[in-house]
Amino acid sequence: LGDPQNLKCVTHNLHKMLCTWDVSSRGRHGQTDFCYSTNDLTPQVCFKSKERRVEIPIPESSITVTIKSSGTAFATKEFVIHQKDISFFPVTPHILSLTPDFPTSTLNLKWSDNGSVFPYGLDALWQIQILRKESMEVVTQVTYYSKLTHEDTILSWNWTSDIPLECTSHYVKIRCYVNATQFVGPKDWSDWSPAEVIPGKDTEPGESGVFPLDPVVAVGSDLTFCCVHEEDQHITNMSYGSKSYTMMQLSRRSHAIRVLNASVSNSSGTNVVCILENGLEGSVVFVGYAPDIPQNLSCETSNLLTIKCTWKPGRPSGLYGERRTKYSLFERTSGKNISCEVSEASRDHVCGFPVLPDQKTYDFILGVSNPIGQAQSSLLVDITQRVRPNAPEKLTVTGNNSTSIQLRWFINGSFAEIRLLCQIEISSSYSERKLHNVSMPGRKSSTYTAQLNALHPDTEYQLRVRCSAASHFWRWSDWSKGVEQTTSEA
Amino acid sequence: IQYERVGADVTMKCGSMDWDAAVTWTVNGTDIDESHLNGSYLVLKNVGLSQSGQYSCYEGSSWHLKYQTYLRVGTPPKEPVLMCRSNNYPKGFYCSWHLPTPTYINNTFNISVIHGTKDMVCERDAIPKNRCHIRYLQLFSTVKYKVTLTVTNALGKNFTTLTFDEFAIVKPDPPESVVAKPVPNNPRRLEVSWQNPSSWPDPESFPLKFFLRYRPLILDQWQHVELSDGTSHTITDAYAGKEYIIQVAAKDSDIGTWSDWSVAVHATPWTEEPKHLTTEAQITETTSASTSSFMAPPTTKICDKGAVVGS
Amino acid sequence: MAAAESPSTALRRRDLCSRGIRLAGKMRADVVDLLDAYVEQQGLDASASVAAVEGVPLAAVERWDEQTGTQRLLENLAAYRAFRALLAQMLEEQREQLGEADVGLGRALAAVLLQVSAFAYHLEELLRLESRGIPGEEEEEDGPPPPPRLSLFEQKLRGLGVLRELAQWAVRSVRDLRQLTKPSPATGAAPGLAESP
Repeated sequence: LGDPQNLKCVTHNLHKMLCTWDVSSRGRHGQTDFCYSTNDLTPQVCFKSKERRVEIPIPESSITVTIKSSGTAFATKEFVIHQKDISFFPVTPHILSLTPDFPTSTLNLKWSDNGSVFPYGLDALWQIQILRKESMEVVTQVTYYSKLTHEDTILSWNWTSDIPLECTSHYVKIRCYVNATQFVGPKDWSDWSPAEVIPGKDTEPGESGVFPLDPVVAVGSDLTFCCVHEEDQHITNMSYGSKSYTMMQLSRRSHAIRVLNASVSNSSGTNVVCILENGLEGSVVFVGYAPDIPQNLSCETSNLLTIKCTWKPGRPSGLYGERRTKYSLFERTSGKNISCEVSEASRDHVCGFPVLPDQKTYDFILGVSNPIGQAQSSLLVDITQRVRPNAPEKLTVTGNNSTSIQLRWFINGSFAEIRLLCQIEISSSYSERKLHNVSMPGRKSSTYTAQLNALHPDTEYQLRVRCSAASHFWRWSDWSKGVEQTTSEA
Repeated sequence: IQYERVGADVTMKCGSMDWDAAVTWTVNGTDIDESHLNGSYLVLKNVGLSQSGQYSCYEGSSWHLKYQTYLRVGTPPKEPVLMCRSNNYPKGFYCSWHLPTPTYINNTFNISVIHGTKDMVCERDAIPKNRCHIRYLQLFSTVKYKVTLTVTNALGKNFTTLTFDEFAIVKPDPPESVVAKPVPNNPRRLEVSWQNPSSWPDPESFPLKFFLRYRPLILDQWQHVELSDGTSHTITDAYAGKEYIIQVAAKDSDIGTWSDWSVAVHATPWTEEPKHLTTEAQITETTSASTSSFMAPPTTKICDKGAVVGS
Repeated sequence: MAAAESPSTALRRRDLCSRGIRLAGKMRADVVDLLDAYVEQQGLDASASVAAVEGVPLAAVERWDEQTGTQRLLENLAAYRAFRALLAQMLEEQREQLGEADVGLGRALAAVLLQVSAFAYHLEELLRLESRGIPGEEEEEDGPPPPPRLSLFEQKLRGLGVLRELAQWAVRSVRDLRQLTKPSPATGAAPGLAESP
């Protein structure tokens, strides 16, 4: 009677094991001497213990254990434990944090891999269970692999829910399996960790509404919306846009609808309406496109003061107001960033950037973004090679005789650092349209002159002028307004 | 009383009599043929309306009355037709209803009127019985009225619900006392006058506007004119000598819908008196010329241009 | 009994009232059109019943026929001032949410806002005519407290509620102004504001 029996040893860390035993009913009380010896360890080591459990090192191969129970009657039992009899399962993992990101319906799980308890690097498997609703239905179970490195490493894992986190409570549990190949005893999964919960809005007293609230999503998305309501409120209908949908019950206070392959919404968004017995709840979803990569990005300057960049935006995003696609022009060399005022309605997309002192080359990145995505285009340009002056103004005839005409015109812009090339077009009823090129040093917002010779006396001529950069021609300006002049008689 | 649906199969037991007891069944005092009996049970297949009546069962030998019932064959009520209207705005509105098809048995109607969260009383009119009226407690409300009419009889129950805005059901009665008169010496004019419907309580604060339509009897196409105030109008483009039919409708000047058309009145514009000539020939010539163009009805004297009064 | 009214004041009031009736009638027509466009543009159900929205003056009134003329004008004025602020906020939200996506609705909203402002001024004129102080001028500067931040759907419903109530108010204002022009039964002259039925 009172013999120790059913000695079992388990290990959670591959270097110590916890041995427990039973004692037959009459011998339950009283002190116990627990002594053990291994073939490489003399003399024997003994412990006194009231509890019938003791932690001792794992033997290389086997260990002899003697248990003397001093209860109502003395009883001694000897056990030989081999490594193969020791079962190994890791300690129950501990979740450090479970953080929801409601806008993206994403859960971020962080836990410690408890690697420091293990003597050497091991492969670890983690099973993560996501459960939902009051009935804690398993939504998904994922296996995650990691390497234990004898240090405690914080592991992180993200999961995106197919229904908004607000709709009902989400629970996460985790357990671990260490693939200790050298350990010959039976190996098993740890216990599941206690479930961490992200409470849904349907657990908050007095809370009601449609979720997600006012999301922006990409065309083609499959969406789930839920209506959280008071328990005594009956839902009569849930609709997306003008169409009613069949409802799924998530909990006593939460019903959901599933919308597949959402199409682009109109400018004020698509209403998701939940009609209750005496009330109305709703959300507005904006379904649009991520911005396209801007095409044909091109930059030029008309005055060497401001650079004007233009581009083709591509497919309209379908998003407006504060959700519209926004543009910014970043110049890498100077680090200067300009946000561009571009209206959705206008067809041409333009953005101005100041010409910077002592900088000819500009390394532009046109950034495009809206709540659904972003894109960018880049352009490296020497702005002095992209001069397209404004159309010459105030073209006037300053003098003439029978065979020549003097002209003067004004160009707005700061061209002191370049030469200008101007082209004068002259035509008359007797002669074909002729073009005369004349080059001159550029100046800052200045007037320029030229003289045309070898003209016919007493002849009426029509003249106009346009200009461009003399070196690195880029594009002509628009033509100036025309003037007419009759040469004097011979 | 025992109610059964048209087309039902009905079995009646003769009170406590055994199945095999000898009995006699009568309907309204007339013996029922034994082919309808199953033992002492009376079996009526696919009953029709005509089989309503008093059914009695007598013990075979003693002729003691063992069982008697009054069988009423009918139908459960279909969804009732409900209509609400305010013809005396802003005092109130009435709701009236009827069943699309008869049920041949008694029906009871229950009406509930809810405005927002308030239950409103619908006072039943003595005549007609299928009508009640509600007094407005509030005016200019955006909260909708919800009227639910439930009809019940022994064979079933049905209901219908109407939800409407205060303004939407405002529909005056047609204008009254419509009078159309020719205007002497004006062959193309007719003077039409009428009165506000007497059911409209405060035309000064809630003025009505009117819609006049008129056409010569010889044409189908109506001409219309809308009048924002006043209760008379002179038609100035009437075809000379042609009899006209004229009707008027009314509407609150700000809200609601047009009334039905008033009773039609007829009138013919003033026409020139035929001149009395010295010679016989001229008279016949003029007379024949005029009759050929305008055939006055035999009972009417050509000059009889009296106005016809519509009530 | 209010002091007998001078003929010129009575004439001026009748003129103001009849012009007010026309302005309110036009405003109602424009608001009804705007309401239709708003319902369509915002993807709402025209028949949706919207709970009373905080800060939106309700046109519903009990024992309307027992109100005095001053009560009518004061209640009207308070309502249209509130609508002025609400419409201005709707316009701001419209620009924020839609940018230039629906310029038409923005213009229609601005046009109604102008009419509401004009009508409020008209009511102030009527009150001045009766030498009655214009209430709450001081509060007017800071205007009503900014309403709580609403979700987009709540903003849409509030807009629906604002336009529905404004359409009702326009009808009520026409009726109120007609009451002011009605000759009082006793004297036959247009009643002083205090005593009009």
